[in-house]
Amino acid sequence: MTLPLAGLRIIDISNVFSLPYAGGLLADLGAEVIKIEGPARLDISRGGAFSGVHPDNEPGDDPWNRSSTYNLLNRGKKSLAIDLRRPEGRQVLKDLIKVSDVLTENFTPRVMRGWELDYPNATKLNPKLIMVSCSGYGPQGPYAQYPAQATTQEATHGLAHVTGYRGDVPSKAGQSFVDFLATWALVMGTTLALRYRHRFDKGLWVDVAMYQLGCTMVADRILDWEANKRLGERIGNRHPWLAPQGCYRCAGDDAWCVISVHDSHEWMALCRVIGRPELANDPRFASNDARMRNHDEIDTFISAWTACRSKTETMELLQSAGVRAGAVFNARDMHLDPHAKARGLLETLSFPPERGIGKRMILGRPWKLSKLPLAGRGPAPCLGQHNREVLRDILGYDEARYAALEESGVIGTKPTVPRPVIRMSMDERVRRGRLASWDPDYKERLGIQE
Amino acid sequence: MPPSALDDLRVLDISQGIAGPLCARLLGDYGADVIKIEPPGGECGRRMPPFFHDDPDPEKSLFFLMANLNKRGIVLDLERPKDAALFRELARNADVIVESFEPGYLASLGLDHATLEAENPGLVMTSITPFGQTGPYSHYKGCEIVTYATSGIMAISGTADREPLKHGGFPGHYESAMNGMLATNVALLTRDLTGLGQHVDVSMQEVVTSSLVINQPNYSFTGGVQGRRRPEGSSFGQVTPCQDGFFVCQEGGSATWNDIANFFGREELKEEKFANQAQRLLHGHELDEIILDATKDRTMAEMFKTASEQFRMLFGIVQTPEDLANCPQLEVRGFYQEVDHPVIGKIRVPFRMWNMSAGPATCRRPAPLLGQHNSEVLAELGRAAA
Repeated sequence: MTLPLAGLRIIDISNVFSLPYAGGLLADLGAEVIKIEGPARLDISRGGAFSGVHPDNEPGDDPWNRSSTYNLLNRGKKSLAIDLRRPEGRQVLKDLIKVSDVLTENFTPRVMRGWELDYPNATKLNPKLIMVSCSGYGPQGPYAQYPAQATTQEATHGLAHVTGYRGDVPSKAGQSFVDFLATWALVMGTTLALRYRHRFDKGLWVDVAMYQLGCTMVADRILDWEANKRLGERIGNRHPWLAPQGCYRCAGDDAWCVISVHDSHEWMALCRVIGRPELANDPRFASNDARMRNHDEIDTFISAWTACRSKTETMELLQSAGVRAGAVFNARDMHLDPHAKARGLLETLSFPPERGIGKRMILGRPWKLSKLPLAGRGPAPCLGQHNREVLRDILGYDEARYAALEESGVIGTKPTVPRPVIRMSMDERVRRGRLASWDPDYKERLGIQE
Repeated sequence: MPPSALDDLRVLDISQGIAGPLCARLLGDYGADVIKIEPPGGECGRRMPPFFHDDPDPEKSLFFLMANLNKRGIVLDLERPKDAALFRELARNADVIVESFEPGYLASLGLDHATLEAENPGLVMTSITPFGQTGPYSHYKGCEIVTYATSGIMAISGTADREPLKHGGFPGHYESAMNGMLATNVALLTRDLTGLGQHVDVSMQEVVTSSLVINQPNYSFTGGVQGRRRPEGSSFGQVTPCQDGFFVCQEGGSATWNDIANFFGREELKEEKFANQAQRLLHGHELDEIILDATKDRTMAEMFKTASEQFRMLFGIVQTPEDLANCPQLEVRGFYQEVDHPVIGKIRVPFRMWNMSAGPATCRRPAPLLGQHNSEVLAELGRAAA
């Protein structure tokens, strides 16, 4: 079946996580996605603190093309490296807007406005253009120009207030969480806009503010405040109204399993599995309210049982009895667990031999469509790899014009401001606590040996 | 109503809880006519706190209200042949069905996608379940914490000396709703081209795993397994107390360390021992003490404004639901919409996830009462059949 976005061209001026990932997913769906970076303004995911790691921990001669996170997010795209700060660079962008369907960008709102390329201006170049913007707070309002990024926003958008160990200070969880909410919203918005254009023959502007999205994740808490003036509290891993629920230590190194009981049937099943059937009729635990009150005591019984079993055995025994349970999986489990393998969320991408990256597994998409088999359509591009194709073949610039842009450094294939590369052995990463552990034989385990 | 992207569609929502209903609501936000079909007694979402004025009435769940805006509601017992036949009739003229049952349940009633599409080849069915439709865990029971544990996110959340920690609330459910809607859009775009519907399989575990774009390839590129932060070194970049609450400050963006030192008003932060990240980690304890002392008499609101406006710093404050309810930025974005619910009355609901210049999300109805539109929908069905 033809991919639903086949034949569509998307200009992707994206940086960091949220929008680059959205562009990668749109490429999976068949769009021609042209990622624009500047030779002096590389995507942050190509190097520095956010870049992830290099294959086999080897930066190589072109570390900016080898970062793990960059290569995951930007699969299947073309790369145009062009300096948008210079008028000749912006002229190329304007020419591209005329022949494209979608323009996506995640600058601070003032940037595109300053270049007269915000939505009202961009539609003068292409009346049916769909523009998709992602910013921290949105282009209007008192916080519009505030610098923003996911880890500080996790506090501001209300999630940190409800996250933390029981009775302890607020906390963050995961990594850059709101960025990925933005990714989903950006693809939702783009697909809606495409259907809108298909039906009504008009473009539109999708305006995603990460803060607003993050606040959506605590909508139930905001409603509790609106109706009941309740602020909520931090309860760790417990359930706000059901008991017991928790994260229990199992046998093994940093091994844990979560358990959550939602009704009396599940409670009785849990008591049977942990070999304490008498607790099922104990008045101290006979109702959900009673279990909420005596939660600490229940935790002692459960922990004593889980401590003697592996996390997967704990999960399997409980699930077989109809009790909600889940092993706490780490990155290794994510790759090797039988369910993950059977589902195939991770896809193997083969890089061309000259990239020196080999075969690597990356996240695909968390949805399957029965008649539309999807897969990443190729590796992420090297910086400026498609400069010639975009300028000569798509825009029809002549050789002299192309050469002049190259000569003046408006386009390039190497960063003009190299970023420092962090060189640290894997063992050192473990010693410093950046990693919990590492598997020297990971390629054999994954079956991605050369 | 101005035209919107999905206003030509009819959606049947037979899902329960949070993720499925919210997915169906999102389709309704963009114009679809969504009919929520509940079992007698109502779906489990009606029993979820918080309740309006803490009254556990099935019409007063605020969670249910939020996840079921923009829907009409009818009651059908899909396990009774007569009601199943009515459902099949509705499905014949529907564009999308959203469901969240255990895999195999609908097939046991003869109401799975394969059966229904025989009478309606354009039908899209979106299933949102804890572990997806296939694989050894597909019959496992899930919930928010099970999704969080098995996704991989808990293993890197919290501190290394304690148990893994989940986010508070239900973000895994909200994220799964978003992916359900996203994948439904993809199926609809495909149908617009081919006329064919399909079955969309969304796994909540995979949704949350898909947010781990640093953690996952770390393993497939180097064999590295990330863990939880050690509770040592500096807490710079973590949640830090101030006079009236907590803040988070990060390096990066256009602010230099010098700007950060000036913001905190402490010249000693410019000393050599804090000059770079490695040095700051080494003298983390001292750094933390200076910052704690510098902020103990400053408020969240003042610091947020000063750091963001004067120093261009990446700066966050721990806002409570009350702060969000009074947030001027959310007001400008049109985040809240007022609905008039027949039992609850007028109430402001967090609604708009993002903005669009045309065809934006519109809030047209409160959540339905149980069976509120039985006769209306059945009358339409009669007309359609006639």
